[in-house]
Amino acid sequence: MKKARNIGWYLLFTLPLVFIFTTVVIIPFIIGIGYSFFSWDGLPLNPKVFVGMDNFVQLFHDTRFFDTAIHTIIFTVLAILLINVLGITFALGVTSKLKVRNLARTMLFMPYLIGGLILGYIWSFIVGDAFSAIGEKTGLTGIFFNWLLNPKSALLALIVVTTWQMAGYIMIIYITGIQAIPEDVIEASAVDGANFWQTLFKIKFPLMMPSFTICLFMTLSNCFKIFDVNLSLTGGGPSNSTEMFAMNIYNEIFKQNNFGYGQAKAIVFFLIVALITLVQVTITKKREVDM
Amino acid sequence: MKAKKITSILLASTLLLSGALIGCSNSNTPKDTSAGSGSTQDSKDKEDANGGSTEAAKKIIVFQSKVEITDQLEELAAEYEDETGVEVEVWNTTGDDYFQQLKTKLANNQGPTVFSLAPGAEVEQMKSYVEDLSNLSIAGKIADGMATELDGKVVGIPYTVEGFGMVYNKDLIDPAKVTNADEFSKMLEEQKENGVNGFGLSQESYFLIGHILNTPFALQKDPKDFLDKLNKGEVKMADTPEFQEFAKMYGEIRDKSYNPLEVNYDKEIGDFATGKTASIHQGNWANGMFADYDVDFEMGMMPFPLSGNTKLAVSVPNAWFVNSQASDAEKQAGKDFLEWLYTSETGIRYLMEEFKFIPVVEGMESKDIDPLSKAVYDYTEAGNTITWVTNDWPAGIVDVYLKPVAEKFFTSDMTPEQFLEELDAGWAEANK
Amino acid sequence: MAKAKKILINAIVLILCTCYLFPIYIVIVNSFKNRSELYENILALPEKLTFEYYAKALEKMSFLNALKNSLVVTLISIAIIVVLASMTAWMMVRVNNKISKLLFLVFVSTMLIPFQTLMMPLMQEMGWIRDNLHIPMIDHLGGLIYMNVGFGASMAVFLYHGFVKSIPISLEEAATIDGCTRLGVFWKIVFPMLKPTTVTVVILDVIWIWNDYLLPSLVLSSKANRTIPLSTASFFGQFTIQWNMAMAGLTLTIIPVIIFYLCAQKYIIKGVAAGAVK
Repeated sequence: MKKARNIGWYLLFTLPLVFIFTTVVIIPFIIGIGYSFFSWDGLPLNPKVFVGMDNFVQLFHDTRFFDTAIHTIIFTVLAILLINVLGITFALGVTSKLKVRNLARTMLFMPYLIGGLILGYIWSFIVGDAFSAIGEKTGLTGIFFNWLLNPKSALLALIVVTTWQMAGYIMIIYITGIQAIPEDVIEASAVDGANFWQTLFKIKFPLMMPSFTICLFMTLSNCFKIFDVNLSLTGGGPSNSTEMFAMNIYNEIFKQNNFGYGQAKAIVFFLIVALITLVQVTITKKREVDM
Repeated sequence: MKAKKITSILLASTLLLSGALIGCSNSNTPKDTSAGSGSTQDSKDKEDANGGSTEAAKKIIVFQSKVEITDQLEELAAEYEDETGVEVEVWNTTGDDYFQQLKTKLANNQGPTVFSLAPGAEVEQMKSYVEDLSNLSIAGKIADGMATELDGKVVGIPYTVEGFGMVYNKDLIDPAKVTNADEFSKMLEEQKENGVNGFGLSQESYFLIGHILNTPFALQKDPKDFLDKLNKGEVKMADTPEFQEFAKMYGEIRDKSYNPLEVNYDKEIGDFATGKTASIHQGNWANGMFADYDVDFEMGMMPFPLSGNTKLAVSVPNAWFVNSQASDAEKQAGKDFLEWLYTSETGIRYLMEEFKFIPVVEGMESKDIDPLSKAVYDYTEAGNTITWVTNDWPAGIVDVYLKPVAEKFFTSDMTPEQFLEELDAGWAEANK
Repeated sequence: MAKAKKILINAIVLILCTCYLFPIYIVIVNSFKNRSELYENILALPEKLTFEYYAKALEKMSFLNALKNSLVVTLISIAIIVVLASMTAWMMVRVNNKISKLLFLVFVSTMLIPFQTLMMPLMQEMGWIRDNLHIPMIDHLGGLIYMNVGFGASMAVFLYHGFVKSIPISLEEAATIDGCTRLGVFWKIVFPMLKPTTVTVVILDVIWIWNDYLLPSLVLSSKANRTIPLSTASFFGQFTIQWNMAMAGLTLTIIPVIIFYLCAQKYIIKGVAAGAVK
């Protein structure tokens, strides 16, 4: 009797969201898996040809897809590091006793509001035109040149712009984490004579473990899925050196009309990433419990 | 007891919530939902249609890719409703994601009544979705070779013609002196000595490689046949003389002018308008970009002088199609709209004066034509045109395969021969 | 002396933040320029301060109607996300059985699916629902809200899940003994304590839903239903982009969000202070 009631409560709390989520995300994803076994261009009236595992076999011979996977991994690792370091620095800054903290918080959060084409346009001007102009004037051509013309610096430009855009966003989550730390704990450590760094590493960071899990994962998922900035800043160039995963799939599905093959790529990549992520989340979660 | 109370509150609030959702569904005018969803109305309309003559629907939806005419099209729609009582709703999107949007919307039966496509590969892919328009009176009045046909039937009514070639500054370049590859490269050198860039491209895929690579294709004896063979791997660009010369000219551009990867379309136009570049590879669509500049020279458009080419690349950029999956009543209304657009006084006025199209259907004349469109028109009248083979290229090839090769070319010391080999490799890859 | 140092630090922080916002300066400055001015110098201040492009952008975007649609979509979507996700996450933490663990994994891992791979099947499914169940999911604000809830679910559950654990279970147990039902416990005890997370979820989701282009562009077609990002589409032609209008449009789009954030910030500070007293 009690058990039935418990199940009832459980369903009442979880079912509405699970239902919506299933219809919006899970079912399309499963349909997508189904399509990955077909050769098809995505238009219902055009022929769907069942090709079995062909799309997956083809994938293993697709060197461009492997290149893309490598760029995406390099990009993601570096971007995650930069975004989180910057995000937590910002968060610590704007939760300190500074007078301008509220203003600063709003300002740092603003970049995330600019998206899409315009963002790419502005930044391609800065790292392209403006940088080469500065280089000519100052002679520091080692740093200031057109970043978009060289594969390595173009990737770096993509990382910088993504960081600029995301750091304020991640900051918001870290702020929540920092504010959840009880004042008295910090005060106690101050009374005990701990300096700034000791407080930070011994008190604040351990207490912020949940924020780290969340932020790492959120940056991971956002970086893996990066599309807008990729398209508008580098367009994948020069010569495909910055083509990220989402853009590769997008090109396959919508530019080249290989819907089935594009889906196959998405699924393989999803499996790999999900595996890595789950390992990461499990590890950080464990640390939360230990603490 | 309390549990019950709370459950009932929750139930009530869920109802309210869903009520709120449905509430906003009602805020939609019923008109919108009925006609906006292509197929829901079908069954009823089909019964009507079976009864005899097809009655036209009272509302149609137009979805098209030329964002530049959206405002004018909406005004036109209002006038059409005043004249005929049929409502025309214009959907919009950005120029870049139009085709993707169209496909998604057709895939979930949300298709528009009238839509636009670029003749060529796009139409081939969408052939199940395009209605036979050969019964329209205007179908027979389309200029030679400009109608989009499938199996001998007219399915698409052209918007206009557009052309591209070398847009040049008449103060700096005499077209009579740039008629072949050698003269072209001499021109680049002379301009460079005067501190001017002779010829400019820009970083966008079509402006970087797509359009300019059209020329060697179009100069083949039978471009379509050549393309077929290339797709099958029976011929190679690297072995074809026009392409070899093209690659050399492309190399000259790299060596003797600015790097197009550092220049976007806006800057390309700005440099040309202010006299820093003597010529650019562009089309008459660029005309609107000059509006904000005080251009103090005359400009014209001349053929890109590959292998002594004397023709501009002119073709139909977009054509109107009627959705074959719409109900009969909607299809009829769509056809009526197109018929009206190309025959009524109001329709023609909009085509010529507001959209600034070049006439491709009998019975209209262009007004206040800009110099670039004038050149396109004159070359077309004189029959001095080559086609756009670009529209028949494998889907997505320009963005996905050709642009990366061009980028590599402009950032390395790649030779023209290697360049052609890489283009061939990209072509093979795209046809896999 | 110490005071002077403080002022100096504050000033430095402000200057750094201002530099950080340099790209936004470019957006605003160029919303006043025409094409040739923009070409001459993208960094320079405009020659004259004319609101011409703003006026035009307002008109072309049918701003008021678009604003209304954006507000409806954003507010309702977020309200539903917050209520449902917090409930789900709480239950998942407190009843930590296999199903909860599985649910958590599913929610989390789907955050990694690029939207581009879901959009075509999703629209087909929604088209099917409309045609067969006659629920207007497409070209309808309600349908967009429903899909927003689906796509926002993962992140919200993930965030709540992380912070529910910091709430002492003893409080809940005490309340249960007092005769509260689960629902009562949740709304009276747990939900208020989740306030900081709720604020985070709301802020992040406001930005996402307010600026979202791709999903609304697929779902909504008719003019009456356009949200703010959709209404700026006509500034982006295939060959000609009207940068001044686009940047004016962008500025108009982000102003409401900045105002919202400023208001929300006061609320965060208050909320935390209130929490600390307990």
